[in-house]
Amino acid sequence: MNALLQVDGLTRRFGGLIAVNNVSFEVATGEIFGLIGPNGAGKTTLFNLITGLTPPSSGHLRYKGADITAAKPHQIAARGIARTFQNIRLFSGLSALDNIRIAQHVHTHTGILAGVLRTPAARREEQAVRERALELLRLVHLEQRADEAVGGFSYGDQRRLEIARALALAPELLLLDEPGAGMNTNEKAALSDFIRHIREQFNLTIVLIEHHVPLVMGLCDRIAVLNFGELIALGSPAQVQNDPAVIEAYLGE
Amino acid sequence: MDSFFNQYGFLIVSMTFSALLALSLYLPLMAGQLSLASPAFYAIGGYIAAVLSTQIFPVESGAPFPLERLLLEMLIAAAVSGVLALLVGLPALRLRGVYLALATIALVEIVRVLSLNLEITGKAIGIFGIPQPFATKLDYLWISGVLLLVSAFFVYRLEHSRMGRAFAALREDELAAGAMGINPTTTKLLAFVLGAMLAGVVGAVSAHFLNTWNARQGTFDASILILAYVIIGGSRTFLGPIAGGLLLTALPEVLRALAGVPGLPPLAVSFLQDGRLIIYGVLIVLSTLFFPQGLITPALLRRWNRKGRA
Amino acid sequence: MNLALFFQQVVNGLAIGSVYAIFALGYTLIFSILGIINFAHSAIFTLGAYFTYALMGARFGFNGLLAQTALPFGLPFPLAVLGGGLLAGGMGVLVERAAFRPLRNRGADPLLMLVSSLGVAVALVNIIQYLVGAEAYSYPNALAGLPPSINLGVGGVPLIMRTVLVVIFIISMLILFALMRLMNHTKAGKALQAVAEDPVTASLLGINTDRLILLTFFISGFLGGIAGTLVGLSVTITGPYFGITFGLRGLAVLVLGGLGSIPGAVVGGLAIGIVEALVPPDLSGYKDAVAFAILLIVLFFRPQGLLGRTFIQKV
Repeated sequence: MNALLQVDGLTRRFGGLIAVNNVSFEVATGEIFGLIGPNGAGKTTLFNLITGLTPPSSGHLRYKGADITAAKPHQIAARGIARTFQNIRLFSGLSALDNIRIAQHVHTHTGILAGVLRTPAARREEQAVRERALELLRLVHLEQRADEAVGGFSYGDQRRLEIARALALAPELLLLDEPGAGMNTNEKAALSDFIRHIREQFNLTIVLIEHHVPLVMGLCDRIAVLNFGELIALGSPAQVQNDPAVIEAYLGE
Repeated sequence: MDSFFNQYGFLIVSMTFSALLALSLYLPLMAGQLSLASPAFYAIGGYIAAVLSTQIFPVESGAPFPLERLLLEMLIAAAVSGVLALLVGLPALRLRGVYLALATIALVEIVRVLSLNLEITGKAIGIFGIPQPFATKLDYLWISGVLLLVSAFFVYRLEHSRMGRAFAALREDELAAGAMGINPTTTKLLAFVLGAMLAGVVGAVSAHFLNTWNARQGTFDASILILAYVIIGGSRTFLGPIAGGLLLTALPEVLRALAGVPGLPPLAVSFLQDGRLIIYGVLIVLSTLFFPQGLITPALLRRWNRKGRA
Repeated sequence: MNLALFFQQVVNGLAIGSVYAIFALGYTLIFSILGIINFAHSAIFTLGAYFTYALMGARFGFNGLLAQTALPFGLPFPLAVLGGGLLAGGMGVLVERAAFRPLRNRGADPLLMLVSSLGVAVALVNIIQYLVGAEAYSYPNALAGLPPSINLGVGGVPLIMRTVLVVIFIISMLILFALMRLMNHTKAGKALQAVAEDPVTASLLGINTDRLILLTFFISGFLGGIAGTLVGLSVTITGPYFGITFGLRGLAVLVLGGLGSIPGAVVGGLAIGIVEALVPPDLSGYKDAVAFAILLIVLFFRPQGLLGRTFIQKV
């Protein structure tokens, strides 16, 4: 197996609470990896650890073989890990277009002076950034609303826009935190197709947190189950579904 | 018309200084950093010009101060302010919101106390007899007006460029901006340094303009006044701070002029003359109530744009 | 510096520090409940000093609308201090009604409240100037009948203190004691602490937040007004801008103790008072910068202050 992300003995304590307890797994290049578990199981904390928003108490993170345990969020983003947030963190006062242009920051180089003077190189880059942003907006069907402030967008539009923003980072690894939250069954099915589609189109590896079990089972290649911060099962959807520990964790909830 | 400009030359140039200082506070605010440090760098820029022009580049009394030396002083003020901002900014910008504001207030006070005590800044007396490059106060508009236009153009272009958008991202949501690959520390530092450099340059020109420079320049009062320019003018577009600086600086003079309207009862005249700062304070309170976004907002600009096109 | 002098300076510092403490508590109380800094607090400090002056029946100077007027009666100094504090508390309530509540009701950005309180400060300071001019005032015969200095030394070691400082220290301590009683032994005080801890839950529990906020502004104004009087007693009221440098130092105390921490404000105030008193005489020009140097050091190394809590940001 060709591991893109290696999580090795990762632990995070908040005071007396152990939010993530000695968790280890690997995510292979190209797979869709599901992360499930009851509320408070530590899924979002794990995302925050992987993206550098929360430093781990102990353990290691490796991405493409390089140690990223101590890296800052922006360094991790620059290495090619992008994410969405459970409670959507778009730049709500800015336009849809700007949201996506901002996420291209690490792939562009125009400095203050070149930007102010609009040098030919800066103008070329600006044009390319704009075109790519519009392309991504078309992908999520928001190109008509490119100039609107995103604070006014519907919940579903914001969810899709946030994915488009993450894609603008041109990541290899995409972390989606409850992308289907608040969607009905039809919308979840569409989301499922969309996630498969972007994996193909952008050659992505995807890790996603999701509560809706049918969506996860149908979409993911492998699934990890967390409960009280511990990894209690890991394997194919069929394996996980029949795992007694998983059944107990869910029934016990 | 000529007499109008001569009478109000001092006011007009002061208005441009205010607008520039408002921009210097607006720059870090673009990246979400509430810094009240502008008066500290303004004071330092002024002392640089005052010391250089009275001690290093003396001119024969009566001869105009060469313009290219003033420009050189402005450059030095910008460079020194920039370096100082870099040193102060590194620890200070780890602080958020009101903590940063308080740290920058402390900086302003420390600069004030230092200039009251140091030999080079002339202690409590300050430095006076700073040479004049121009014959009249209004002529300073050649420097301050051009500086305002250039700065406005700079900030306008910045707002529509890659780094300006990175500033905006930090202002909207620092955490998400980091997750999108923007380095919060260097980006905030950049915004802070730009603001400091501008404030330093304005101080250098202002020292010549005022002819004397002392520890009363660039105090905490100035911090809050400049903040009021930005908040009342509008803190979401570069035009806001400019409008705020120009209008609020003109306001006391307008009130004074109103006192001259014939037929007013004597109490009203005395109030307009001596109580105009009361009105000023009340207007600040009222504008936070009635223009919470400031006078000039992005929505307003869009409306103007549409009208312009229609 | 010999030991006797050192102790003398420490005790002087404690006296001034106790005024810093009650003044900074005015900021702290409002910060703990609303999470904002009330920049009008320094103007209320100034007002309090003038209120006391007026209540003593003293005559105003030659400038301003109230030139050469005085109240028809005069209160003895202790009563005037109290009256000045109460009037300043009333001003605090007015400030809340005029500048904070309308903004709070519409959920405005805290930055706007800050600017609005700055506007109030500008207006108040200039109202003072408009009414009584810019001259300095000192309380006439405030401590009549007391000797100018008192020896607090024990054994053969003299510890000579200016009587004014002793009076200031006693009054500050009385106020602090009363405030502690109020916070810990009354219903209103406990409700205040509950709101400071968690405003949402407190309002769910049926605590009337608006009334408590008014009470907070009253107490804050009272503390500010008393502090203004005490500083005025020690160094004279230097004019309408009297409160500004003091107000800034109060902010340093607020940060040193930890924003919103009541014991922190007391400890911070005393600490800054003592450190300032220990500045050697040949460096006295830098005394005004001490509080801010401490402020910067604290912010850079321990931003939550000496006794403040850390915050964990939720993602």
